Amino acid sequence: MKRRILALLGGTLLSASAMAGGYQVNLASQRQVGMGHTGTGIQTGTASIFFNPGAMSFMRENGVTIGASLINSRIAYRAPEPTNTTALADNDFGTPFQVYGVFGINEKIKVGLGIYTPFGSGVRWGEEWNGKYGLNEIDLKAVYFQPTVSYQITDQLGIGVGFVVATGGVNLQRVLPVQGQDGQEGSIELDGGAETAYGFNAGVYFEPTEQLSIGINYRSKVDIKVNDGSVTFRNIPASAMGNFPDGTEFSASLPMPSTLSLGVGFKPTDQLTLAVDVSRVQWSAYENLRFDFTQPVAGSTVSESDRKYEDAMIYRIGGEYQLNEALALRAGAYYDQTPVQDGYLTPETPDSDSRGLSVGVGYKVSDNFSLDASFLYINKAKRTDAADKSRGIAGTYKSIAYIPGLAVNFQF
Amino acid sequence: MKNIFYKYSVLALSAGVLLTSCDPEIDAPSKSSGEADFAKYVAVGNSLTAGFQDNGLYLEGQRSSYPALMANQFAEVGGGSFVQPLFTEAQKNGSGYLRLSGFTATGSPITETVTENRAIRSASPVLFTKFTDPVQNLGVPGLKVADIKVQGYGSAQGNPYFERITPDAQAGQTYLQRVQQSTDHTFFSLWLGNNDVLSYATSGGASTAASNAITPVTTFDANYAELVGALMANGQEGILATIPNVAGIPFFTTVGPRVKQTLTDNNVPGMVAITGAGKDRVQFLTSQINASENGVLFTLTGASYAALLGQPTGKYWRDLAKQVSPSQDPLIIKGTLAQLLFNYSIDTTQMFGFSGGNPWPSALLLDVNEQNNVKAATSAFNTIIKAQAEARGLALWDANAYFNTIQTGFGKNGAAYSPAFITGNLFSLDGVHLTPRGYAIAANEMIQAINAKYNSNVPLVDETQYRAVLLP
Repeated sequence: MKRRILALLGGTLLSASAMAGGYQVNLASQRQVGMGHTGTGIQTGTASIFFNPGAMSFMRENGVTIGASLINSRIAYRAPEPTNTTALADNDFGTPFQVYGVFGINEKIKVGLGIYTPFGSGVRWGEEWNGKYGLNEIDLKAVYFQPTVSYQITDQLGIGVGFVVATGGVNLQRVLPVQGQDGQEGSIELDGGAETAYGFNAGVYFEPTEQLSIGINYRSKVDIKVNDGSVTFRNIPASAMGNFPDGTEFSASLPMPSTLSLGVGFKPTDQLTLAVDVSRVQWSAYENLRFDFTQPVAGSTVSESDRKYEDAMIYRIGGEYQLNEALALRAGAYYDQTPVQDGYLTPETPDSDSRGLSVGVGYKVSDNFSLDASFLYINKAKRTDAADKSRGIAGTYKSIAYIPGLAVNFQF
Repeated sequence: MKNIFYKYSVLALSAGVLLTSCDPEIDAPSKSSGEADFAKYVAVGNSLTAGFQDNGLYLEGQRSSYPALMANQFAEVGGGSFVQPLFTEAQKNGSGYLRLSGFTATGSPITETVTENRAIRSASPVLFTKFTDPVQNLGVPGLKVADIKVQGYGSAQGNPYFERITPDAQAGQTYLQRVQQSTDHTFFSLWLGNNDVLSYATSGGASTAASNAITPVTTFDANYAELVGALMANGQEGILATIPNVAGIPFFTTVGPRVKQTLTDNNVPGMVAITGAGKDRVQFLTSQINASENGVLFTLTGASYAALLGQPTGKYWRDLAKQVSPSQDPLIIKGTLAQLLFNYSIDTTQMFGFSGGNPWPSALLLDVNEQNNVKAATSAFNTIIKAQAEARGLALWDANAYFNTIQTGFGKNGAAYSPAFITGNLFSLDGVHLTPRGYAIAANEMIQAINAKYNSNVPLVDETQYRAVLLP
């Protein structure tokens, strides 16, 4: 099932640049991206599968949504002063996607399936920069499959829960500081698919009046584990091959942290929807990054470095104005705290507090068919760090991203 | 509907503009020369300054000498061109150098000497292809502070590296006179004095040659002051550097720990060695090897003999006889060997290194007394260097302090560094001189000292662009 869907979507679709705090990717719905990625405390249609399964039971029609974003992110780097060495990570286009389908069993019960990419990272520094011994490129991806059921208890109150089946993979490459007589440096590539992991996504949605709605949502932590990942060494001088044995495999584990969100929706008029979300991401689950090797690599079967992430808050605000029957205009903004403490910055996630600004439009082509388009601009605060506690690369990092996205919706 | 498409196309267009024009940028730190003037830089020193590495001076090493790297950085803040006496591409291997060809079964490195494409114009005495244009890198391998007033140092009987850059008409001139010829430089570096103690140390304190003696402190003091004075004749600014502790370089830290391990594993309590230049024996305990107090240090040159400990062998003396014999005639060598064995009272049937009759050779060991001589001299020389920097208001790189702090290793930009032989990335195959990466790191330390002294902001070198030891 998993493999078939992945094949269907195409391998390249899966890489996603980490453009939220840490390696979280908050691009779960094109309509909601347009509204600053709020959505816990309002009805978001099929995307309620992600934002708040409790609100899914309020849907009056069956629906299917297919959407994707095109992340265009760049990270500038400058070595610590007074060095004037610079680098620019020109990351490949990341394409996080989402597919949601919701079907009503009866008035009260709705079932649905969501497939989305809530975590990932794609950073490409190249082999020339001065952090090449730390990282050349990383491609981390997580895909969640989430069958969901939602029950409307009263006209005002709904609950829902989804069962998360997670998979993904990681690819990591860096240069090794060993050189042959021709001056060529060695390199190491770690590549592995994740074992299936499980979690859940539960929410309660409450709509006391026509103007006001409140939601709470909890997405559990999922530990993504890679076992028997391949380790490939290249250009290792013959005399050093014993230190970098062929056929080595690695295992590693990475937490996809839990996220608790509280959202409020307010509809002052029939045309205007305002939404506010606050999320707490339990990044403290990410304490270190550890690779275990089946054979000693450079004399050790373990490579471990501290990350010590801290829990972080995200504050979001967004609005939608229904201009007419067909056209909706959206805008939003958010502030996403970094989980990375001082001293722990790494080139794989050169994170800092980020600010997002978004706009979007929705257009109803017919009663059954509508489109959502969004554009998100993310600007992460410039950050200078010694990176001495994470074995990272010291220097100043600055990231920005431009993320257009498009989704199609079918109602029936 | 038309309106919508218009809006989309505007959105797409503006997105396109943003995508291409708005890469994130980080403002460059402001570069400045501060109170220093780097218009013309000259570097004075020894092999380290010349870019010597892998026991040789060759083009690649010259190109990554710390003065060359510093001059590159000075160029960012008004520095001019920097001329080095580079070997030509056709003679790029210069003096020849050591290349790593493999490792023994026990992990000891095997080196070979590169002999092609050298710049040797005379084999005896060894002389190199001349380079007589004016140069700004005056680094001369082997140069001591004690040598700077030696007449004829640039002649065929002098130092072949100085001879190489000395115009024939000035063959009699001293190194100091050569330095005095440079009058229009605006900035200088002076890292000299290492050999005034190092050549005694690397020869294990065993040599009677004057060239391997420790320089008397009074000579060092007077010569050094005169050299600094010459470099500052027109009020120039510059940087001085101290002499690292020889006990911290791979030349002395590689073989000892291995011997210590072997002896400990076999419950051997200690060894017998020859001390000094005579035949006096000295005993030391296994625990003294590479100990910080009352320690003894094995030279890197003793690596192959360390494998013979405890055996009835005369290999060291046979090798020495071949080396010092006036002729390579086997009979003459045999005679030389007999003389050596007699002079040093050697009985090669006894256990090598463990018996008074077949002691560990003096040249392969810096024993307690010899090390004390080295420590005392290093300390005295460094006091003089620091006093000069202080009195004359010059920048100072305390290389001694720096190399002491890195003994336990450090990480930078994802790579690990330590004074370990080969694997430490800092020291080249001779265990004394740095790798190109090591020279880049040294250049950065100097630049930081310069920046601190002269309120300048000279950018640092990206050390990751320079190589460490090349493996076979």
